[in-house]
Amino acid sequence: MTPMATFKNHPVLKSVRQALGRSATPTEIPAPPELDEPLIRLVHSDFGLPELFAARARENKMRVTFVSPEDAAPMLTARLKELGIASAAYPVSKLIDQLEILPALAAAGVSLLPWGPAALNPTYDVDAGITDAHAAVAETGSVVIRPTASHGRALSLVPNYHFILLEPKNFLPDLVDLFQKLPAENDPSGLILITGPSKTADIEMNLVTGVHGPGHIEIFILK
Amino acid sequence: MALPLTTLPPEGPKKRDPHLHAASKSKFDFHSVSVEAAGDTRLKAAVQNAVVRQDAARTRSLALLPDSDALRTLAGKIKGHTLDYLDFYLEQFEQNVRKRGGTVHFARDGAEAKKIILKLAAAANCKSCIKSKSMASEEIELAHALELSGMDVTETDLGEFIVQINHDKPSHIVTPVIHMNKEAIARLFSDYFKTPYNDDPIHLTQQARVYLREKFRNADFGMTGGNFLVAETGQICVVENEGNARQSTTTPRLLVSLVGIEKLVPRLADLSVVAVPLTNSATGQPMTVSTSIFGGVRAEGEADGPSEFHVVLLDNGRSEILAGDYRETLACIRCGACLNACPIYRSIGGHAYGSVYPGPIGALLTPLFQGLAEFKDLPNASSLCGACYEACPVKINIPRHLINLRRDITSRELSHPVERLIYRAWAWTQGSTTLYNLVAMAQKIELRRRAGKSEFVDKLPWPGSGWTDVRPIPKPAARSFRSQWAQRRG
Repeated sequence: MTPMATFKNHPVLKSVRQALGRSATPTEIPAPPELDEPLIRLVHSDFGLPELFAARARENKMRVTFVSPEDAAPMLTARLKELGIASAAYPVSKLIDQLEILPALAAAGVSLLPWGPAALNPTYDVDAGITDAHAAVAETGSVVIRPTASHGRALSLVPNYHFILLEPKNFLPDLVDLFQKLPAENDPSGLILITGPSKTADIEMNLVTGVHGPGHIEIFILK
Repeated sequence: MALPLTTLPPEGPKKRDPHLHAASKSKFDFHSVSVEAAGDTRLKAAVQNAVVRQDAARTRSLALLPDSDALRTLAGKIKGHTLDYLDFYLEQFEQNVRKRGGTVHFARDGAEAKKIILKLAAAANCKSCIKSKSMASEEIELAHALELSGMDVTETDLGEFIVQINHDKPSHIVTPVIHMNKEAIARLFSDYFKTPYNDDPIHLTQQARVYLREKFRNADFGMTGGNFLVAETGQICVVENEGNARQSTTTPRLLVSLVGIEKLVPRLADLSVVAVPLTNSATGQPMTVSTSIFGGVRAEGEADGPSEFHVVLLDNGRSEILAGDYRETLACIRCGACLNACPIYRSIGGHAYGSVYPGPIGALLTPLFQGLAEFKDLPNASSLCGACYEACPVKINIPRHLINLRRDITSRELSHPVERLIYRAWAWTQGSTTLYNLVAMAQKIELRRRAGKSEFVDKLPWPGSGWTDVRPIPKPAARSFRSQWAQRRG
């Protein structure tokens, strides 16, 4: 039997159908309840999205700085030095190339790990991940990462510091815009929404940041 | 962050929570377990401290939404619609997971789910499993089965890790070690890691981080649960704050997600309706730190993510619930808000409920999943105040279902024979004015005689002792309200 035939005849699916009072799965069903946009949309305008995003991201304990493209590389480098970061991993990214981030970091003595087929394990030994983003949701202050061959999942997860570069084109007003845009696009590896540094309150409700994911997230928004 | 890091200690301490131990005896006696738990002031303080804050955080964050009440109604409607057409959505989900290179399996019960998962791990020759938090896996005690198979299994959510090394059970759906204070956790870590005692939460968290990081790096098998299954895309949505579920979907080559069949939603866009009330209701956060939407195997050229992906869909009694009057309870999204709001949960904590699902929703789900006879006292663990219904992000009418379960228990004659006799007699006396007056009079005379000069009756024989053991009964007035009223009206 094909996997689909085995699945369709599985006793669990049979008992689900039986519970619903039918012997075959309907081929057509009523449309699911309509998503009432006024209920779920919190941001209605495209105006001032980077500023709104910055405010929300700061509420979520992420550090946000606005920079001009020419200042991005020197400011990021200075920040890494200030924090004592000696090594960083990065994806293949047009934005990182355009901003000439890598030469600046290399000149400052930061050892660099490019993402690639054998990069996963070494990423556990670097201090920081430096990435761009697929999108940024102003309503929630969330950065959206879409993993690809050139941008691994581990870059925004494994190192203790995550630096994110955002461009004006990244900003979406609302979570609704993100979810409504997605199904049409081909996204084999899914999405990750990051809304703050990793944290826990499991011990007596004491908030502690930096559990398993990055303990520090810093965002540079390009003007 | 320089912490003494030992290799895996041989064996953790074997101390068990007394309430948990009592509740897991074969014949579940809710009465004695809950009475004991209610008398535990340390437990009560720990639980109150946490849940009252969580409940307040929920209220605050929902107030920021345009109309949280209407949003909860819509979320309930979406879940209800999905349950009404669950066969359709299950098949759609399966097709879409297959398109992404994953495989969907069905498991009738816990034993079958464990068999499937162990077989997958063995076939892929996996040795080391990192497991993120999942109520479905708690329900079937998956970690234990994996351990028995000889695999190195690590619960990676901090709370679940504490539960695991303490050989304990979670007592709250969202915050598993709500019953422990930091001193108890510090003693546990000191024993387990053989390090000096230090009860600073930051230190304890860092200690776990350093230990678990090596587990993440070397794992070949990742396990997750799922908050939502998206039928139209074949994806799973997991919300979390720690980042450990992301670790499960990043490093290991085999990824298995164990999820209940009721967790489907039709569309990706539904997440903006159902996931928002989930995080707001669970922890008062508009969004958790990380929301992962994943499914399928890594794309060509990718250097992380699973190369083999399976979803195990667990029935374990759910299809039976789907058939009956309690279908609505399957809309539960496991946010824990009803626990936090419940005056009973606040008094006795989670372990007294004798299963992984505590609180009001547990008082429904446990008897429905595991049998009404064994857990016949749980539906009575509610004052029917309705706080749970008010807190529920999908508006499950928990009090109504609890009353219906009580009805089922009586009609199936599962309650104590004496209790049934008393209620039958009571119903008989309520049916006639003469009988009612006669009984009320007899009751008044007897209670006044027992009270004597005191204003209260402190002690009654069984079954009245069930009341007077806990609180006295006020002495009835010499003349009843009815007779005084009749006299006043002339």
